[in-house]
Amino acid sequence: MKLIKPVSTLLTLIPSIAYIPILIEIIKGFHIGGLNIIFQFISSAIKPSFNQEVVKSAWEGLQITIATALTSWVISMLIGILLGVLSTDLFWKSIPKFSYLGKLIKYSLAIPRSIHEVVWGLLFIQILGLNIWVAIISIVIPYSALTARVISEQLDSFDIQPLKAIKQTGSNFMISFITILLPKLIPIVSTYGSYRFECAIRGVTLLGIFGLGGIGTELYLTLKSFEFNEMWTCLWMLWLVMILLEKFIRFLRSYLSENISLKKSFLISISIFSLSLSLGISWLYKLNFEIFTPLSFSYLNLPSFVEIRNGFNTLPLFKLIITTILITFLASGIAIGTPPLLLVLFPGKFPLEVQNLIWIFFRLIPPPLTTILILLFTNPNISVAALSLGITHMGVMGRLLTDNILNQEKSIYRAIKNNGSSKKSATLYGILAPQSNSYLAYGAYRSDVILKETAIIGAVGGVGLGWQLQESLSSFDWAQVIIITTTFSLLTMSGEFLFNTSQNYWLKNSTNNFIS
Amino acid sequence: MHQAPRAIKFMKITIALLSIFNLSNIGSLKAEEILRIGAIPDQNPEHLNRLYKVLSSELSEQLNIQVRYKPVTNYAAAVTAFRTGNLDLVWFGALTGLQARLQTKGSKVIAQRDIDEKFHSIFIANKKSSIQKINNINDLKTLKGKRFTFGSESSTSGRLMPQYFLNKAGVQLKDFKGASPGFSGSHDATLMLVQSGSYEAGALSEEVWKRNLERGRVDPSKVFVIWKTPSYHNYHWLAQGNLDKKFKKGFTKELTKVFLRFNEKSKKQKQILELFSAKKFIISKNENYNKIEKVAREIGKIK
Repeated sequence: MKLIKPVSTLLTLIPSIAYIPILIEIIKGFHIGGLNIIFQFISSAIKPSFNQEVVKSAWEGLQITIATALTSWVISMLIGILLGVLSTDLFWKSIPKFSYLGKLIKYSLAIPRSIHEVVWGLLFIQILGLNIWVAIISIVIPYSALTARVISEQLDSFDIQPLKAIKQTGSNFMISFITILLPKLIPIVSTYGSYRFECAIRGVTLLGIFGLGGIGTELYLTLKSFEFNEMWTCLWMLWLVMILLEKFIRFLRSYLSENISLKKSFLISISIFSLSLSLGISWLYKLNFEIFTPLSFSYLNLPSFVEIRNGFNTLPLFKLIITTILITFLASGIAIGTPPLLLVLFPGKFPLEVQNLIWIFFRLIPPPLTTILILLFTNPNISVAALSLGITHMGVMGRLLTDNILNQEKSIYRAIKNNGSSKKSATLYGILAPQSNSYLAYGAYRSDVILKETAIIGAVGGVGLGWQLQESLSSFDWAQVIIITTTFSLLTMSGEFLFNTSQNYWLKNSTNNFIS
Repeated sequence: MHQAPRAIKFMKITIALLSIFNLSNIGSLKAEEILRIGAIPDQNPEHLNRLYKVLSSELSEQLNIQVRYKPVTNYAAAVTAFRTGNLDLVWFGALTGLQARLQTKGSKVIAQRDIDEKFHSIFIANKKSSIQKINNINDLKTLKGKRFTFGSESSTSGRLMPQYFLNKAGVQLKDFKGASPGFSGSHDATLMLVQSGSYEAGALSEEVWKRNLERGRVDPSKVFVIWKTPSYHNYHWLAQGNLDKKFKKGFTKELTKVFLRFNEKSKKQKQILELFSAKKFIISKNENYNKIEKVAREIGKIK
């Protein structure tokens, strides 16, 4: 048994320090004026609206969301795999003359990745108008780049001795490359791919909040008009579908991970992709979207250099950047720190199962919805924005942790407990410790996502770059939009570099292999 | 082990069925022009769906054309959809209507509700704050240093006009507590957030305030009106300039007439008017919005 460093275990708990400033702010501004509305919100959970119009409209929205997610997921996976392979050093080893191309692809992918799908959506809607392809393209661009990164990193971490050997024997490089690559690629694609599908559903839901239709739209409009019963109809439906999907994906994954032949699992992967794509597209068509109509581009006046310079002078960029970074830090603290904290506070198998269910639910509530609810009992400030973001991502982090724990060896935990330690410390050292390095690595990646997502939060509180983007977009001030988007992109890229460095550090020390 | 092929078989069957379904639909498509209508989303989806279902069927009957309602989900997206030609006729607020009209050559205002000619915003405050009722616009100064919220960024009655009157009284956005106002996203949210005390004051459309009063959602022990703004023109129907070419000569005129004829004698029309909270539609024109355009340029919502 490897000796476990307690340091990283404690480190998983440290981010929850973020609660201190947040709670101080929230308690300072706390009031009970909105309690009756909060009560209405909670009590409406058990009496969702069954009005025929509401259910029909929610069901339609849900279908749009799933079909769009399915379509964009497949396209982004395919493009991502291709770009991922093309940006490995492995691939270009055979053609050293052009190896700079690989580097070029690898580094230029940082740009599409650095902008949140919702921001892509807001930009594309200006050029393509109201078209379902806007939603699909907005998901595909950042997701392909993300998938490509994961694929290339994973592939490059493998030992390439066999490839060298093949090269010396002089057989066709391409064919041997594929033969050696495939067995490595399929497990990555199956675990990472299923995770991306769920992300796609969340992405499309968020896009709906910003005006591209689907269940997100229904959620947002019902909340905006405070029709909680109607809102819960949408939320419960979304939750149910998510749970069913998860069950289905797990079944598929466990089937694929059983030792079936390479050829068979390859064929299954291909058929899953092609089936999903045709299902997604025909479903959207069925829902009356003009998916086969050629896109019509509408002309947009680009701002002049002078306008952009003026934009710089009118925007309080420095203040906006500081606020955005602060929100990211606090939200990351909440997201990374809470799950381990709960685990230690409420140890045991049953609480773990309960936590697992809670996380699924938290993952589904889009941050803009949480913001309004939190604002009902506290005064507006940065903490509100941070907490709303933190809560959603806490769901993602918690899910990962409980999932890994449910699948991990219990031997260490039992050994510690049999030595007479308390349940809490046994949990800390026997359950949390083996997970902590990979958990922290994943946490670093999450912070990256949270930073990107600040682009869409803050609209209610009027804080940060996210709010300014909304304001500039609704004034159709393209100079400002360009400045803010570029700033965001640069901020995210430097963030990615930073988080990547820390992620690699944790992964180096990680005991279990996982894919972020 | 043997379950997966079964799953795939099932999927294949589903897809085959879907394709057959689609083919049967393609046959029924007619190659005629459709009037696509939309609205800025300032109501819950259930209300919007009910309203536009009835309206579409009524317009379709009266004009003898196909009408399709396309839901749009945020103000800016509605403007964009009009600019890119995805929508032929849109129910806009004054500001969004202006933004859309200035970006779309030839488009024109055709009609509005009776209440849109003399629309008001109201300023509300939480009872626990030290804010008092005011009689004179200059007293808006008392809102300096308070937690204040607008509605949506693009709302005429929830942001543009209130901000204009605040500026007139010498209150700038940075004068509020926290050096900026909040943007709740909707009139209902403004009301709820001021009523709960998260914000000490806010501004919203008088129409939405009245509707909430009727529905018993306003708690008079917590929130009250401090000031009603002078009147201004608000919502209107904006039509693309090419409708006569698209359908037939004189179509825009005919469409306007249909709106003006709506009355409470017909059951369907009565329902439409009720859902619009109006007694009737009246004629309106581009020039009605010149003053608002000036305000919007001052505030920077129109470049």
